[in-house]
Amino acid sequence: MDWGRVRFFLSEVWRNFTRNLIMQLTAIGTVTVTIALLGGFLFTRETLGRIGDDVIKKIEISVFMSDRATPEDAKALAAALRADPRVKSVRYISKTEGLRQLRERLNGQIDTSLLTQNPLPEALRVKVADPERVRDVALTIRRNPKVANVEYAQDAVQKLLRISDVFGRIGLGVVALLIFTAAIIISNTIRLTVFARRREIAIMQLVGASSTYVRMPFICEGMIDGLLGSALALALLQLARLELLPKLTGALPFLPLATVTAGQGSFALQLLFVGAAVGIAASWFSVGRYLRA
Amino acid sequence: MISLRGVTLVYPNGTRALDAIDLEIAKGSFVFLVGHSGTGKSSLLRLLYREQLPSRGEVTVDAVRVDKLRRSKVPQLRRNVGVVFQDYKLLSDKTVWENVAFALQVTGARTRDVMRQVPRALDLVGLSHKSRMFPSELSGGEQQRTAIARALVNNPKILLCDEPTGNLDPANTNEIMDLLHRINLKGTTVVIATHNALVVDRMRRRVIRLEDGKIVADEERGYYIQAGQAGQPARPEIPAQSA
Repeated sequence: MDWGRVRFFLSEVWRNFTRNLIMQLTAIGTVTVTIALLGGFLFTRETLGRIGDDVIKKIEISVFMSDRATPEDAKALAAALRADPRVKSVRYISKTEGLRQLRERLNGQIDTSLLTQNPLPEALRVKVADPERVRDVALTIRRNPKVANVEYAQDAVQKLLRISDVFGRIGLGVVALLIFTAAIIISNTIRLTVFARRREIAIMQLVGASSTYVRMPFICEGMIDGLLGSALALALLQLARLELLPKLTGALPFLPLATVTAGQGSFALQLLFVGAAVGIAASWFSVGRYLRA
Repeated sequence: MISLRGVTLVYPNGTRALDAIDLEIAKGSFVFLVGHSGTGKSSLLRLLYREQLPSRGEVTVDAVRVDKLRRSKVPQLRRNVGVVFQDYKLLSDKTVWENVAFALQVTGARTRDVMRQVPRALDLVGLSHKSRMFPSELSGGEQQRTAIARALVNNPKILLCDEPTGNLDPANTNEIMDLLHRINLKGTTVVIATHNALVVDRMRRRVIRLEDGKIVADEERGYYIQAGQAGQPARPEIPAQSA
């Protein structure tokens, strides 16, 4: 390993970086804001997703058998559904059990002892493995001739899925715009550095430096801007996690926030990668235009 | 070594810098390109290190068709062609040693090659004792010698000089020309664009005269002002390289 060459290369990168410190700090700051917002967006999206999953998981398909159906028909349907890979669990609610549950819910508001017969049908409570398949499973059950009615809070499920989808699209659009802005700022910073070092670049090209050799210090400069910005953003996000998250969890205990920190290491690496990639791409484009001119 | 055939160069604003130039320069030659400002001397030199492409014609340097060269191959050409300018083009924040080493370092040379070749180049131009000084601490002649050392450190076969003594006093001018003569004696082809008549007449080498982008004269042991025109008194000449 030729450390002299490494030292020379690093000294060129350092010269680039310190030539234009105010602009570098601006670029780093922009990347910090972008990556912090990206991190916040991912956190919010994951939280909303978990809230949605929690809600959807609790959604049961209520199956009400027809008046002609016997308990054996209900149990046969339950067995058939249990064999369906889309179905997670099936609970059989007999007419008797159904009436008992109704009495509990009503809590004496209506005197059910006056009933001469049990008006409630045989019923099943079905939970699906994948909340996205609720509608499919409900349609399958509805085709059974012994089934009178199937209910599963269709509107709620559709709304939740739509909200999640819209939030995802809007969020991605905002993040893409921020990344583009950060790339522009880094690109301008690199162009200023290139302009400041134009004499050296001209001499490098005159004595036969390859375009890669000319380009590399500026690419590294862009990468450093991106990495430093991402690292600062991660520090801010970590600070928010340590300071704000306990307060949020205390104020909103029903929200599944605490589980969002799972996979933190890979999350941090992804954000660092995004920052570095934005820096490299912006500076590559910026220097390339100058060299082609 | 250098060949131009039917070379014409027209700039985008319509200026015809060179007009149907045919020229051959053999290996190891020492050649002056003379003419007033704007006659195409610098433009011709720029073609040789691919700073400029001809509008028409062929340019060949050391068996390489420069006009057809892919952009990615241009750095290789330039390692073989050293260039020196009137304004030296040194980096003011680097010492003499660092300026010369820069030419090796940016081409990916190994550290041990840098440590071997830079002192050799500085020794050749007589600046070993000033290697730690900055350009601002040097005279014009010393700065130009630094620039020559940088141009030579890659051991190029050709050295192109565009008005190398333009900013120098007569004493420094003579020093630089003596240095270029010594470099030529070692086998490097030297081409100098100049409008300094005294320098040309002192050395009595091949003189190619340009006017309005055309070669109007090509003398093996020429004067700046040719025979039959208002002449300059002869000055002591430096012996030409033996064949």
